[in-house]
Amino acid sequence: MITRQFGSEVRWMLRRPRTLIGLFGLVLVPIIISFGIWTASDEGEGGGGPPGLGAILQGNGMVVPIFTLFLSLNLLLPLVASIWAADGLAGEAQHGTLRGLLVAPVSRVRLLFVKLFGLTAMSLFAVTLMAVVGIISGTAFLGNDGMMTLSGTTLSTAEGLVRIGLFILLVTFQMVAIGAVALAVSSATEHPLVVQAATMTTIIVFQVLGQFTSLDWLHPFLITTGFPGLIDVMRDPIPWEQIGDSTLLAGCYLLIGTGLAAIRLVTKDS
Amino acid sequence: MTTSTSAPVTAPSKTAVAARTKGLRKEYGSTVAVDRVDLELPEGAVLGMLGPNGSGKTTTIRMLLGLVRPTQGEIELLGRPLPEGAEQALPHVGALVEGPGFHPFLSGRENLVRCAAFEPLLPRKEIKQAVEDAIERVGLAQAAHRRYRGYSLGMKQRLGLAAALLVPRKLVVLDEPTNGLDPAGTREIRKIIGDLHAAGSTVLVSSHLLSEVEATCTHVAVLHRGTVVAQGELTELLQAGGSALQVITPDVETALSALRQAKISARPLGDGLRVELAGTSAPQVIETLVQGGARVFEATRWKTGLEELFARLTEAEEAERGMSAVDTLDGGRR
Amino acid sequence: MNKRKVTLAAAAAGVITGVAGLSLAAMPAGAGQPPSLPDVSAESLVQQVLTSKPGAFGGTVEVDNKLGLPSLAEIPQLADGKHSARIWTDGNGKFRAALPNGQSEQTIVNDGKTTWSWNSADNEVTKAEHKADQPKPDEQKAQSVDPAAAAKQVVGLTKEFSDITVDGTARVANRAAYELVLTPKASEKTLIREVRIAVDAELKMPLRVAVLTNGASEPAGTVGFKEINVGAQDPKLFEFTPPAQAKVTTPEAKEEKGRDRRPELGVEQALQGKDPQIFGTGWDTVVGARIPAEAMTQVPAEAQGLVDKFTKKVSGNWGSGQVFTTKVATILIADDGRVVAGAVPEQVLFDTIGQVK
Repeated sequence: MITRQFGSEVRWMLRRPRTLIGLFGLVLVPIIISFGIWTASDEGEGGGGPPGLGAILQGNGMVVPIFTLFLSLNLLLPLVASIWAADGLAGEAQHGTLRGLLVAPVSRVRLLFVKLFGLTAMSLFAVTLMAVVGIISGTAFLGNDGMMTLSGTTLSTAEGLVRIGLFILLVTFQMVAIGAVALAVSSATEHPLVVQAATMTTIIVFQVLGQFTSLDWLHPFLITTGFPGLIDVMRDPIPWEQIGDSTLLAGCYLLIGTGLAAIRLVTKDS
Repeated sequence: MTTSTSAPVTAPSKTAVAARTKGLRKEYGSTVAVDRVDLELPEGAVLGMLGPNGSGKTTTIRMLLGLVRPTQGEIELLGRPLPEGAEQALPHVGALVEGPGFHPFLSGRENLVRCAAFEPLLPRKEIKQAVEDAIERVGLAQAAHRRYRGYSLGMKQRLGLAAALLVPRKLVVLDEPTNGLDPAGTREIRKIIGDLHAAGSTVLVSSHLLSEVEATCTHVAVLHRGTVVAQGELTELLQAGGSALQVITPDVETALSALRQAKISARPLGDGLRVELAGTSAPQVIETLVQGGARVFEATRWKTGLEELFARLTEAEEAERGMSAVDTLDGGRR
Repeated sequence: MNKRKVTLAAAAAGVITGVAGLSLAAMPAGAGQPPSLPDVSAESLVQQVLTSKPGAFGGTVEVDNKLGLPSLAEIPQLADGKHSARIWTDGNGKFRAALPNGQSEQTIVNDGKTTWSWNSADNEVTKAEHKADQPKPDEQKAQSVDPAAAAKQVVGLTKEFSDITVDGTARVANRAAYELVLTPKASEKTLIREVRIAVDAELKMPLRVAVLTNGASEPAGTVGFKEINVGAQDPKLFEFTPPAQAKVTTPEAKEEKGRDRRPELGVEQALQGKDPQIFGTGWDTVVGARIPAEAMTQVPAEAQGLVDKFTKKVSGNWGSGQVFTTKVATILIADDGRVVAGAVPEQVLFDTIGQVK
């Protein structure tokens, strides 16, 4: 029964026009990045690519998916996660379909898990799609001689794919954590836009707060603090500490978001 | 004021009940939406829930379906206490609450498939057939492939009904099912309710359209200002609502004074009088009139309509609250 | 308890766990119970430290720095704050260091014949083939974050001028260690109150060095392993193949280019290049040098601005100049090019500068 509900949820999400538009937008990101780096290479020395990971993109197509996801994690992927979370509960409440599900009946806890599953499945799908398009466009525009890491070593394509797979999972988990918190907001309102606005405002405010060194006591609490550490996937050998910390941090957000959403759903009048 | 309406009419049923509430109360913040609602829905009955907008019909229905937690009181649905037993009881309940709710970007059929996926009693293999049957049943076959976004109000209503009827139900709850339907659509809904009744399902229909309830219901519950002011079998209620005699006479003044002397309640109406038969009988009235010198052209037994009953029930409430307007209206009868 | 209450309790427990997890993550890791180890005399511990042969190990080092140094683009690990670096060594001179800097990374690999220095920020490799007695600047940089090397140096230089004690035990990078404390003797005129070195009980290898200055309870600087795994390391770590897309240069070529680009390097080179003059011994040793006059005048305006920002103008019977103060060291640059520096208060420098030739 639950698999059938999971399936229905994912099919429903995929049928939404805005999901398709969103996915299309996400897919453009790696293509634009590959193209941008490729044109920069024609301008000769230096290239003037973006700093950090961007510096090693030249001729290193396998890094495009990682770079794309790393960039998107700051704004684009949280936005997409918040849209899905917003439509999941607030949107259903707005259309009056939440009532229909509850009298079917679907227990409220199960409903939350169905929504969380949909969010996870779609996040994984979107992130994987971006990565795959990134690999293809990166290879096409920038070439592929294996994957050069930040540590200056070159991994074989197979090893590189393993790194990309790992990064996909890590990024998806961050997205799901953000989505879970957005679901908690979503369970408390009938207006999907409120959910998106609240989530995105939080993410942006967190990133701004992260810039102030005077607030460094606050930083370990902000989920956005964990984002930059994920780049350690591109070091060789991988230092696991920051990756572990970021994932734990996201795990805490996932627990809080899911817990609050469950409390709200169980006590809510529909 | 007639005695029959001063207290809620309750017909205690000895048969099994599909749903029952006791002392139901719901507060939203400081507003009391529903209070002291004792409702009984006998198995196999078609209960019409009447009441003006804001009388607490929808809140009561939402509590019956476990959507809203009552502040106080007990609910029993298909033999299970709510909200604890919701998961056992609700699969057997089909509902159309507060208008149809569907996703605008999906077609009618896709919407039903999504609803069906969450129906615990519907095996996966039967989903397709169940959806087609439901579409056929509410007469949406032509429009099933179209997006819900483009549906007319009536089509939306039908789709909502189809969702409620995806699985054979023991109880079907319909909140204002004929909203937005044309007369033909209304007739179809009546037919569907009749079919459900014939098949042994219990039906709860809420409506503010009295004729609809009168035409389809076996039982009636009247809600007013968040509480049940009357409930029972439709026929009993109408009888208890008292009968009257319509008398056609040119000598209205004479007739009225004669009746007043005999302490019979009457008021002028149209070409003659309307005489209440409470505490008296038709022959006695006519005798009083003839002896009083009034010419009686015609006397017909007045059957109380639901509309009148409803008006009286709700007006009675108003009167109790000391509303002067109602007093003047009723003045002629005194 | 009914189902609803159970659900609510479980959900609340989830929220509480999440919040507790966040708070735990935000709290600095506790030191834990200090291990109990057999007593050891300070002298024998010092001997063991100095004679211990470095073995193969790999680990993560955390530098916690409150020295008050301006941040230098060259060595971000030395700027104030917490930084980490990863080092691996095979115990026979080959090593690898990875110095992450934000989203880029500098990697230094000594494969026995060549020292490779890779910087992902500019996609560039510097290749220095080993020649006899050639200083290897990048290698020194890499070793400056190795607590073991740093501690040995300190102990070797100052043991005669210090009171050395063993002050209990500590757990560093999950290994049991003795806390060796070097306190400058009362006659030493230094800014430093004590240096605490955590020495691995088994390997006698320093695992952490903390420098405490006068009047501060928190260490001004700590370099220590956060994680260490002792034993043979993957030999592949000590190999380096320049990535296909990277530019490969030699240190000579880079220096040429660097000289044009960064005139302030002139001062640095002048300090390093001339034989420095040493005054005094022990903790209050002062290093002196004279920057050629042309180098002084070459300092461009913006570099001068930088210098002014971090220094204080001073003058005395020795002349006038600028003094740069950190918690552990003071540098005095006289206007005529004389430079003295040491882990001493500025008065000691004023007294010493007259001796610079």
